[in-house]
Amino acid sequence: MKQVLNRISKPGAMLALFALLVVVALPAFALEPNEYRQFMGIDSRKLVWFLAQLHLFFGAFVLGVPLFAVIVEIVGWRGGDAKFDKLAYEFTSLLSVAYATTAALGGLLAFALFTLYPTFMGYMAGIFKDVMFMYALLFFVETFCLYLYYYGWNWMKSTKPFSNSTQLIFKGLGIAVLIVAAIFFFGGFGLEMRGDTRSFMAVLYLLPFGIGLFLIRNPKSSHVMIGIMLNIAGVALMQLSNSWAGFMMSPAGVDEDGALTGSLWTAFENILATPVAIHRMLGNLAFGGLVAGAYAAVKFIGARTPEEKAHYDWMGYISNFVALCALIPLPFAGYYLGREVYSQSAVMGNNMMGGDFSWTFIMQAILVGSLFIISNYYLWSGMTRIPGAERYYKFIKWILGALIISFAVWLTPHNLPLTALEVGEMGGSQYHPTLKFLGLMPAKNAVVNLIILSTFFSFLLYRRGNKTDAVSISAQGRTPVIVISLAGLVAVAIVGQYALSLLTMSPADLDLPADRAQYFSTLGYLLVVECIAAVVAVVLALKDHGKLAQGLYLGVTAFNVVLFLGVYGFVVMEKASPLLRNVAVSQFLQLISCLILVTAIDMYLFKGAKEIGKLQWGKMTVRSQYALLLLTFVITMNMGLMGFIRSGLRGDWHIFGLMRDTSIWSYTPSNYTMTEIVSLAVLVFMVAVAFMFWLGSLATRKPDSSESLKGESDV
Amino acid sequence: MSNAVVKVFIVLLIVLGTFLWVGSTITAMTGGEKKAGGVVEVSPEGGEQIFWGKGRCFTCHSMGDQGSAVRCPNLGQFGEKFALPIGARAAERARERSEETGLHYTVTDYLVESLAKPDAYLVDGFKNEMAIVFAPPISLNLDEIKAAISYLQSQGGEVDLEAINNPSDIASTYYERIEAASAAGGGDPGAGEEMFTDNCSDCHQLNGEGGEVGPDLSAIASKGLKFISESILVPAKKITEGYETFTVVDKEGLKTIGIKTRDTATEVDITTDTGEVITFTRSDIEEITEDEGSSVMPDDLTEALTVKDFQDIQAFLMLQKGEEDEQ
Repeated sequence: MKQVLNRISKPGAMLALFALLVVVALPAFALEPNEYRQFMGIDSRKLVWFLAQLHLFFGAFVLGVPLFAVIVEIVGWRGGDAKFDKLAYEFTSLLSVAYATTAALGGLLAFALFTLYPTFMGYMAGIFKDVMFMYALLFFVETFCLYLYYYGWNWMKSTKPFSNSTQLIFKGLGIAVLIVAAIFFFGGFGLEMRGDTRSFMAVLYLLPFGIGLFLIRNPKSSHVMIGIMLNIAGVALMQLSNSWAGFMMSPAGVDEDGALTGSLWTAFENILATPVAIHRMLGNLAFGGLVAGAYAAVKFIGARTPEEKAHYDWMGYISNFVALCALIPLPFAGYYLGREVYSQSAVMGNNMMGGDFSWTFIMQAILVGSLFIISNYYLWSGMTRIPGAERYYKFIKWILGALIISFAVWLTPHNLPLTALEVGEMGGSQYHPTLKFLGLMPAKNAVVNLIILSTFFSFLLYRRGNKTDAVSISAQGRTPVIVISLAGLVAVAIVGQYALSLLTMSPADLDLPADRAQYFSTLGYLLVVECIAAVVAVVLALKDHGKLAQGLYLGVTAFNVVLFLGVYGFVVMEKASPLLRNVAVSQFLQLISCLILVTAIDMYLFKGAKEIGKLQWGKMTVRSQYALLLLTFVITMNMGLMGFIRSGLRGDWHIFGLMRDTSIWSYTPSNYTMTEIVSLAVLVFMVAVAFMFWLGSLATRKPDSSESLKGESDV
Repeated sequence: MSNAVVKVFIVLLIVLGTFLWVGSTITAMTGGEKKAGGVVEVSPEGGEQIFWGKGRCFTCHSMGDQGSAVRCPNLGQFGEKFALPIGARAAERARERSEETGLHYTVTDYLVESLAKPDAYLVDGFKNEMAIVFAPPISLNLDEIKAAISYLQSQGGEVDLEAINNPSDIASTYYERIEAASAAGGGDPGAGEEMFTDNCSDCHQLNGEGGEVGPDLSAIASKGLKFISESILVPAKKITEGYETFTVVDKEGLKTIGIKTRDTATEVDITTDTGEVITFTRSDIEEITEDEGSSVMPDDLTEALTVKDFQDIQAFLMLQKGEEDEQ
C-alpha cells in the first residue's frame, strides 16, 4: 500500500502545483500587452517547445499503451489465451513508472508556460479555468484506475462467475448506458455540439462504458471494465487538453478583445478541438503499439533462449498489428483535420500545404512513406515464419515496386529549389517538364491510396500464409451472411451517399459555371460503379467465390482510386479546380469501403481452413527487429514534426487572430531548427523509456539464488 | 541484453543524424526562418516583399514559374490559360468590368477591387476562396495593399503610383472598405453583410430595407466602433431613444414585453421581439412600465459568434454611413 501511495504522490504533487498555478494566474480577460520572460537566458519558445514535445511523447505513451493493453487483455480473456493476458500485464507494468514521469513533465511544462508566458497563460487560465480543474480531477480518476488496474491484476484474475442477479444488474446497467449512448449519438440530449464531437464522445466514452458494464460477469471482466475506465479517463484528459490547443488555432466564444462572450462550452468545442483529438487518438494507438513493439524488439535482440525469442517475436507481431490497424486510417484522420484547418482559415490551410510548411510536408511524406514501407517489410519478414507463405513471395516484388514508386511520387515537390544555372539548363523554368505533374495533388492522392491498398494487400497475404485454401462461406451458417451483407451495406452507404450528393450538386455551389456539371456527374457515376462492384462482391462471396469477390472489389477500387482518378484529377484541376477536393473525398470513401468489405470477406474466407504448418514464432531475422525499432523511431519523429506544423500554422499568433505573439521569437523556425528540437526530444524520450523499461524489469526480476541463500545464512 | 541496447541506440543516433541532415539540406535549399517583414513602402519592391511574405499571396498564387501554388490563378505568364502576366491581364479585366458594371474601371481599380472584394470577379474555373487580406491573420494595412498592387502592376504592366495614391471613385470606395475593416479589428465586410442579412435584418432597417423592431442602422458608423461593439455584446447598455423596452400587463394578468411603437390617448402598440405588433386599448391595460436596463434585442447573440464573425459584422456596420431614417 505504501508503495502505491508513494507512486501516487508524484503525480498528485504535480497536480497540486498545477492547480495552484491556475489559481494564482491572474485571468487576463481583456487582451493586454504581452509579457515575456526568460529562464537563464534560454530562448523561451524553444524551451517550451522542447518540454511540450517531451510531455506529449510521454502523454501519448501513457494514453496509447493502456489502449493497447486493454485490447490485448480482452483478446486473451475472450479467447482464453493466457499469453495475451501476460503480455497485457507486462505492458501495464511499464505504465506505472511512465505515468509519474508524464505527470512530472506536465508540471514542468505548466511551470514553464505560466512563468515564461504569463500574459498568455493568464488569459488561457481565465477562459479555461473550469476545464483546467476538471483536467486535474480527471487526472485523479485516471491515476486510481491505473493503479487499481495494475495492482488488481492478480487479485481480479478469477473467472468464477458472480451470482446471476449481480450479472443481471450489470447487464441491465450496460444496456441502459448503451441506450443512452444511442440517444446521445443521435442528438437526443446534451449540449449543442458538432457531429464529430458528439460521435467522439458517444463512441469513445459511452459505448465502451456500456459494453464494459454489459460484459461484467466475473472478477476478470470487472478488471477489464477498470481498464476501459482507465482509457475513458485518458481519452477525456486528452480531449480536455486538446480543446486548449484547438482554441489557440480556432478561438470561439470570445469577442475581439478576448473576453468570453459565449459559454465555456463554445470555447471548449472550438472547430479544431475534435479533429485534433481524433487524429491524436489514432496516432496514440499506433504510437502505443509501436513503443510496445520496440520493447519486444529489444528483448528479442537480447534473448538467449528459443522460448524467449518466440515470446518476444509474437509480442512484436501483436504490437505491430495493433499499430498498423491505427496507422491505416490515420492519413484519413489527417485529411479530415487538414480540411477543418482549411475551413477554419484558408490562410492557415494554404500555409500548411503550400506555404511555410510545404517542405516540412515533404519531410513528413518521407517519414510516413517509410512507416508504410517498413511495416510491409516487417510483414514480409514475418512470412518467413509461416510454412506455406512461400507461395506468396512472388507478389512481394510487385508490392515493393508499387510502394517505392508511390513513395517517390509522394515526396516529389511541385517546383524544385534550383540554382540559376540549373534553371537555365531546364529551359528557364523551375518546373521540371514531367516531374512537375507528380508534385500536384491528384498524383499525390493517387499514390497515398495505392500505398494503403498495397499495405492492406500485404496483410491479406500474411493472413492466408499457412492456409491451404479458402473454405466455403455458405457452409458457415448465418453469421457470415449477416456480417458480409452488413459490411456490403456499409460500403454501399458510404460511397452511395456521396455519389448521390455529387449527382445532385450544382456547379454553382462551387462557384463554377453550369457547363462543368459533366465533371460532377463523371465522379458521381464512378462511385455508382463502385457501389455495384460492392454488391457483386457480396453476392460472389456468399456464393463461395470469396477470392474472386475480393479480387473484383480490390481491382475496381484500385482502378477507380489510383488509375482513373489519378489521371482524371488533372482534368478536374484544369477545368473545375474547386471540385478537386471532392475527388479526394471520393477516393478516401472508396478506399475505406474497400477495406471494410474485403476484411469482412477475409474473416470467413479462411476461417478454420486447414493449416500447412504451425507458425514458427521466434524464427525471425534480427533485421526484422531493427525494422520494428525503426518504426518506433520514425513515428516518434513524425509526431514531433506534425506537432511543429500544427502549432506553427498559427504563424505569429499565440491565439490565431486574437492574441499576437509580440516576442522576439515571433517567427516560423526553419526545418533544420525543427529537426534539432524534435531529435533532441526523441533522444531524451527514448533514453527515458529505456530507463523505465529497465526499472520495470527490476520489479519482475527474481532474486539471485546465491544472494537469497546468503541472506538466509546471515539470519 | 546490454549489447542489444547499445546497438539500438547506435541505430537511433544514425536515424536522428539522417533526420538532421535532411532538415539541414532542405533549409539550405529553401531558406531558414520565416519572419513577417517590417514596414514596406508603396513600391513594387515593397509589394514583392508583401506578396512573398506577410501577405501570404504565394500560398495560393504562383507568379509564372515562381512558386508552386495552384489553388488560385497564376499571376504570371503561364500556359495558354494565363497568356499574359497580371499587369497586362488587368487591363483586359478592367475593360470587362467596365462593360459589366457600366463604370469606368482602370487597371488600378480592377486590382484594388480584386484585393478588397475578391468575389467581384472570379476567374473561370476558380472558386471564391481568397482570404480577406486586411483581416486577421494576414491583416495588411492600406499601404501594404497599395504596395502589393504596385507589384502586380509591375508584372507586365505599367506601375501607376499616382493612381494608387490618388484613387478614383471606385478605388476610394474600396479603400474606405479596407479602412473600416481595419478599424473594426480587420473584419470582412462582405461576410458581415451576409451575417447581417441572416441574423439582424428581420429587426433592423438598412437603407430602407428590413424590419422595424430595432433602430435603423443605415448611419450607425457615425456612432463609432465602441458603440457598435457594445450594442452587439450588451444590447441593454445604451438603448437608442424610442426603442426602450416596455412591459404591459393586461387586465387578465397577461404580460407582453416589447417596444412601444404607437401611443395614443386610447391605444398603445407594442412590437415584440418577433416583430408582432399587439394593439392594447387603454382600458384593457392594468399596468405599463418601462424596463430600464433591458432590451428586446437578444443578449445571447454572441454565444455562437466567433471572433471572425464579430469582426466581420462590425466591419460591415462601420461602412454604414448613409442617411438615417429619423423616427
